[in-house]
Amino acid sequence: MKRVVSVSLGSSRRDHHVNTVLLGEEFEISRRGTDGDFERAIALLGELDGNVDAIGLGGIDLYLYAGRTRYAVSDGLKLVHAVKKTPVVDGSGLKNTLERETIYYLRKHTGLLPPGCKVLMVSAVDRFGMAEALVELGCEMTFGDLIFAAGIPYPIKTLQELEEIAHKTLPEMVKLPFHMLYPTGKKQDIQDENKVEKFGHYYHGADVIAGDYHLVRRCMPGNLRGQMVITNTTTREDVEFLKKKGVGRLVTTTPEYGGRSFGTNVMEAVMVVLLGKRWEDITPKDYLDLMGRLDLKPRLLEL
Amino acid sequence: MATHQEITESLKAFAQEYSKNQRLKTMNRDWDRAVLILADDIESAHTLVLKGGELSFSQGKAAEPDLTVISNSEILADMFFGDITPTEPYMNGTLRIIGPEDDILRLDFISLLIWGE
Repeated sequence: MKRVVSVSLGSSRRDHHVNTVLLGEEFEISRRGTDGDFERAIALLGELDGNVDAIGLGGIDLYLYAGRTRYAVSDGLKLVHAVKKTPVVDGSGLKNTLERETIYYLRKHTGLLPPGCKVLMVSAVDRFGMAEALVELGCEMTFGDLIFAAGIPYPIKTLQELEEIAHKTLPEMVKLPFHMLYPTGKKQDIQDENKVEKFGHYYHGADVIAGDYHLVRRCMPGNLRGQMVITNTTTREDVEFLKKKGVGRLVTTTPEYGGRSFGTNVMEAVMVVLLGKRWEDITPKDYLDLMGRLDLKPRLLEL
Repeated sequence: MATHQEITESLKAFAQEYSKNQRLKTMNRDWDRAVLILADDIESAHTLVLKGGELSFSQGKAAEPDLTVISNSEILADMFFGDITPTEPYMNGTLRIIGPEDDILRLDFISLLIWGE
């Protein structure tokens, strides 16, 4: 039995545990939230180190991307450094492959992403691969990185401008406490009503809303008109939430296990175990081949 | 240690760079704020005012501040001249910003968009 644990800075209300068999290997996969408590996360990582097969880091990114440049998030690195023996991943290695493939899959196998469709991507620097794929397929993009991270009502329309702004700001932003850039802990359980009111129109104006679930959720208004949401981690409660808001279709980039889709960090940790290679040595092709063997496809849910 | 005059000059440079940046003005159209800049090692106060996307500053405390930025005179001058970013002094506690976290982050963004590489 292989054990994979995701340690998250997110809410413990989302904790989950599942046993599954992948390529003939039994897995026990669990997620443990620390409610935004950074020190508790460090202590938990220390306890797990050497006692599980792989660790995923949730609720935080290790790296943010602007084009080919990646910026290491200081708080993420602190968490990684608490682990000495066990492979530890944040999902960024897999995101670039899996989320690109999700977009290509939707174009190839569904009519859900026609050229010119309007996509609001709430944040792109945490999933640059998805952003590039959407642009490549001719979607009309609004990147909400400044809107939803900094409260600046400035929609970025091109990857070039996104990269330019990211190169100016990310080298310093990644040094700030992560909770200033991303909702952690209890903030994940509530919406920011001011921002819902102020920025809700960006959701209404889009055909597709894409990006990190907590960012998508935090400012989502009601009375949506059946738009599609493309995201990562969702629980049953999240699906109900999206339905109530008027979302028509949900696509998750990771498959469902026991009623919910796990984060990419969990899937990447599982893949590291299955590949039996050091994380640094794993290539996008390794992930692609393994995704094929696992028959990983995005989950499409009509709401 | 910097002088009050040097801080004034640094704010002048900051305001000039801001005024040349049409995109930044567009970004800040919704953000009307008074920012009090206080040195903690010399007698020096300035007020930055953002209104309708335009930025101005004056010497002394000119309005009830929404945000208060406190540091030593050297850091303040270096920061507004763009020689250092606010992040490091903010993280090591030599720069204190009193106000809502969202506003602090936004002020940081403005500074980086003016002076960032």
